[in-house]
Amino acid sequence: MSALIEVENLTLSFRTDEGLVTAVEDVSFRLDRGEVMGLVGESGSGKSVTAKSLMHLNARNAVYAPGSRITLHTETGPLDVLSLRRTADLKVVRGGAISMIFQEPMASFAPAITIGKQMVEQLQLHSDMSKREARAISVEMLDRVGISDASRRFDQYAFELSGGMRQRAMIAMALSTKPALLIADEPTTALDVTIQAQVIDLMKDLVDEFRMGIIFITHDLGVVAQTCDRVNVMYLGRLIEEGPVREVIANPKHPYTQGLIAALPKLDDLDAPLTPVPGDIPSPLERPSGCVFHTRCSQIVGPECRADLPRDTRIDATHQVACHIYREVAE
Amino acid sequence: MSTPLIRADGLSVGFNIGKGLFNRFTLKAVDNVTIHIEKGSFFGLVGESGSGKTTLGRALLKAVPITGGTAHYSDGEVEYDLEKITKEQLRDYRKRAQLIFQDPYAALSPRMTVRDIIAEPLEVMRLTRNREETDERVREIAAKCRLNLEHLRRFPHAFSGGQRQRISIARALVSDPKFVVADESVAALDVSIQADVLNLLKQLQKDLGLTFMFISHDLSVVAHTCDYVAVMYLGRLVETAPTRKLFAAPRHPYTKALFSAIPSLDPDDRGKAQKLEGEIPSPTNQPPGCKFHTRCVHAVDRCNVEEPLLEADGTGHEVACHRWKELLGTV
Amino acid sequence: MTETPETFAEAARAANERGDQSAKEAYFTASQRQLIWARFKKQRSAMIAGIILLLMILSGIFAPFLSPYDPTVAGRNKDYLNGAPTIPQFCDKNGCSLRPFLHTIERVRSIETNFRWVEQVNEDERRYVQFFVEGAPYKILGFIPAQTRLFGMDKGFIHLFGTDAAGKDIFSRTLHAIWTSLQVGSIGVFIAFFLALIIGGVSGYYGGWIDGVIQMITDAVRTVPAIPLFMAVAAFMPPELSAEERFFYISLILGFIGWPTLARRVRTHLLTERNQEYVLAAQLSGASSGHVIRRHLLPSFTSYIIVDLVISFPYMVLSETALSFIGLGLKDPVSSLGVMLQNATSADVMLNYQWYFIPVIFFIVLVMAFVFVGDGLRDAADPYSDTHK
Repeated sequence: MSALIEVENLTLSFRTDEGLVTAVEDVSFRLDRGEVMGLVGESGSGKSVTAKSLMHLNARNAVYAPGSRITLHTETGPLDVLSLRRTADLKVVRGGAISMIFQEPMASFAPAITIGKQMVEQLQLHSDMSKREARAISVEMLDRVGISDASRRFDQYAFELSGGMRQRAMIAMALSTKPALLIADEPTTALDVTIQAQVIDLMKDLVDEFRMGIIFITHDLGVVAQTCDRVNVMYLGRLIEEGPVREVIANPKHPYTQGLIAALPKLDDLDAPLTPVPGDIPSPLERPSGCVFHTRCSQIVGPECRADLPRDTRIDATHQVACHIYREVAE
Repeated sequence: MSTPLIRADGLSVGFNIGKGLFNRFTLKAVDNVTIHIEKGSFFGLVGESGSGKTTLGRALLKAVPITGGTAHYSDGEVEYDLEKITKEQLRDYRKRAQLIFQDPYAALSPRMTVRDIIAEPLEVMRLTRNREETDERVREIAAKCRLNLEHLRRFPHAFSGGQRQRISIARALVSDPKFVVADESVAALDVSIQADVLNLLKQLQKDLGLTFMFISHDLSVVAHTCDYVAVMYLGRLVETAPTRKLFAAPRHPYTKALFSAIPSLDPDDRGKAQKLEGEIPSPTNQPPGCKFHTRCVHAVDRCNVEEPLLEADGTGHEVACHRWKELLGTV
Repeated sequence: MTETPETFAEAARAANERGDQSAKEAYFTASQRQLIWARFKKQRSAMIAGIILLLMILSGIFAPFLSPYDPTVAGRNKDYLNGAPTIPQFCDKNGCSLRPFLHTIERVRSIETNFRWVEQVNEDERRYVQFFVEGAPYKILGFIPAQTRLFGMDKGFIHLFGTDAAGKDIFSRTLHAIWTSLQVGSIGVFIAFFLALIIGGVSGYYGGWIDGVIQMITDAVRTVPAIPLFMAVAAFMPPELSAEERFFYISLILGFIGWPTLARRVRTHLLTERNQEYVLAAQLSGASSGHVIRRHLLPSFTSYIIVDLVISFPYMVLSETALSFIGLGLKDPVSSLGVMLQNATSADVMLNYQWYFIPVIFFIVLVMAFVFVGDGLRDAADPYSDTHK
């Protein structure tokens, strides 16, 4: 399959009042067309920041380290996202080739404009469609994401819809421009479980239909298991494990991934004790040296955990992990 | 069996909505709920947003007015009728019944040190005679909640979510309450921390002989912590049972749907979830008959007109569904 | 933005690398106020404005000491009306001196000058500047009697900013004017703030219909246009009022029309703060309204209130100036920035006596300093300016 987006050595810091804070460090991955990739991590792991940098969408105090590279393969050839400066160029990426949906749908709809008007505007911004065509496509998309009575909803405001409907409308808007890549940032976290199940289902249908790439950001491994092909686990801005979903969940290699899975309450064994990952995620101001996870790791192998950054080690062709435990195996 | 600590019979909470003389109407957030919470138990209350679970919890703490039915508190020392409680009794009740909030960021004043936050209830209720006694009590409870005593001088901004939630718990427990309502107390926490806070709550319950009402939307969390579970839908109880019974064989179609909506960790379960159509109706516009019939796949004509009552089967398992017997064994 | 490790947090980071715990602890145990101060210190423009503001306030307080003469007719130089600034110099054609001196200026008029007064500098006669001279007695802050002034002349007068039509020293007047304007502003802000706190506080804390009624009144007050109101009040004010009484009334009026904006902010802040979970937590512990207000609500907005006060201050000074400028406020014998501004309006001044504009510069600097300090404080106090990363 052909690559859709390639991220190489992405390192990103924020200039804050408290100094330069590293949010993402040396992250590299690649996503193919039609692939669904999960980006899993706790709050503060840098997963949203990573996703936003794919659209060059981070706040103005963001500083990309030299050597960071994001290449988007569009129909017209490869595009270096981080070198884009002009709004007109960025438009090709933002909302054009890449769309994003958020945890809180209210935030992506202007409160005083109807949903339909917003969708039409967005379509017209990215194509030379007439208003009528844009409207037809918008209504069709709304219908497609399971919004009943789409032509009436078209003229409603976001606050008139329920939470689940809003999420659907946001998905419809994000997909109307037929993006090659959809970034879904915790799209189901704010929803009730029953609605979450509906939205997950809808997204799976849409992947089959539109064949776009999806980056699914979530902290919920269950959601990942139900939606993704491949998963990347992040901790404190670093990718620590990557592999096919089935493989990573059934056979996690990194102590952190193992801890995450063990911490999940399981329904098939109510007597199993809950085992938390010990300790707390360090403040971004106190970034640990060596392996970023060593302050909470229960499987420290030696002083190198505190001193050296672990290199990526291949477990097999598709599964790799960054942990000192596996270094000897590889060497 | 001894007298339950909390005994609510036919409890209702309504809010007056709307302005003016004519379009005034009452929103029934909690409708005719009967629950008994035994001393020393961990009582789970499950439901989607809008189900009235938070309101029920607050009504039992006398934070919202009770508009119908009765609620009694009896811990062997005192007995209060929460509906007719006097001012002095309420002052004493505040000491005995406490609330742990969902959001560990909003629940701690950013302008007070951890010591002052935890000490506030003691000072407000004048439970200690002097500063030394207050300090001693604060240190005692902070140690029980596994807080670093060195950190008591710090302000909340120095702490992560998990640590803040432990501070929140310490504050709730400092007045030595008997009954604690934990409202979505782990929902805002990352999975790796969530297990830690749940374990702490269980430990504290055992050590201090507390009775917990644990409100959550997450069945898997409830399954691992609670002895007894009540499921709410639109202000009504639809099913109550000891945890094991409920999880072994849920009876109400809504409970079943909630179970199947939990995203499974097994990628092979994809598409197996039994989807619940639609969303929870607005509490201002409740359907007649069984509240759940608008979304229930098993609904028959009777469900549209006649509201089912909770039916006990003699084993402590109660369900409010016309067809539960027919549906035994189905998913 | 500077990259020097100035804030607690950066110090904490640096300390962390050195393994030093105390600096880190300083950040973790820093109160909100300390954090705001740390953030404020990093804003260079606000810091500079703050220093300028401080200097201006101090020069206002010590105006009698810093100025060589009384700003009133008592200190006038009747031989040097509408005189140009006299700048002390160290050297002239007769050589240099360590002590700065002035040349005597004589004013003559003759048929050659078309009978206009013309200044002639007598370069042979030097008058020296003296420091810490005994001048006319005065009182610092109105009650500390003193007689020493920072500088003066051994003989004759010195007018750094020139003199006005009555021969009053503009430099002395400017320093006193800053103080007068600050006083009027302070009293105005204080009254406005006092009203705002009570009205906005009641409105925000109780909410409901009380809030509705108060908001209606507030809106009504806000719709009253300021200038016609001023004119009505000026017409109402008896002309025989003394300068002090006039001064007091002006402050009062400024206070009474200044409160609605502040009240609205207090109310909004209270409404949001009142619904914070930690306030509910305190209430569920049985805390009384008094405790909630004292312990949570007031501390939660002291920093905002200080910011609001600083930001509303220049408006008070502006209003005072505007009032005096259109001739409705303070009148000439009193030195206020508005009066000074009004004196600079005539065409004669623009053509011949440009030094009348020197106080205008002080006025602009004062207002700008307030605005910058206020903006800096707001940015430092606003938690949303934080990039929680």
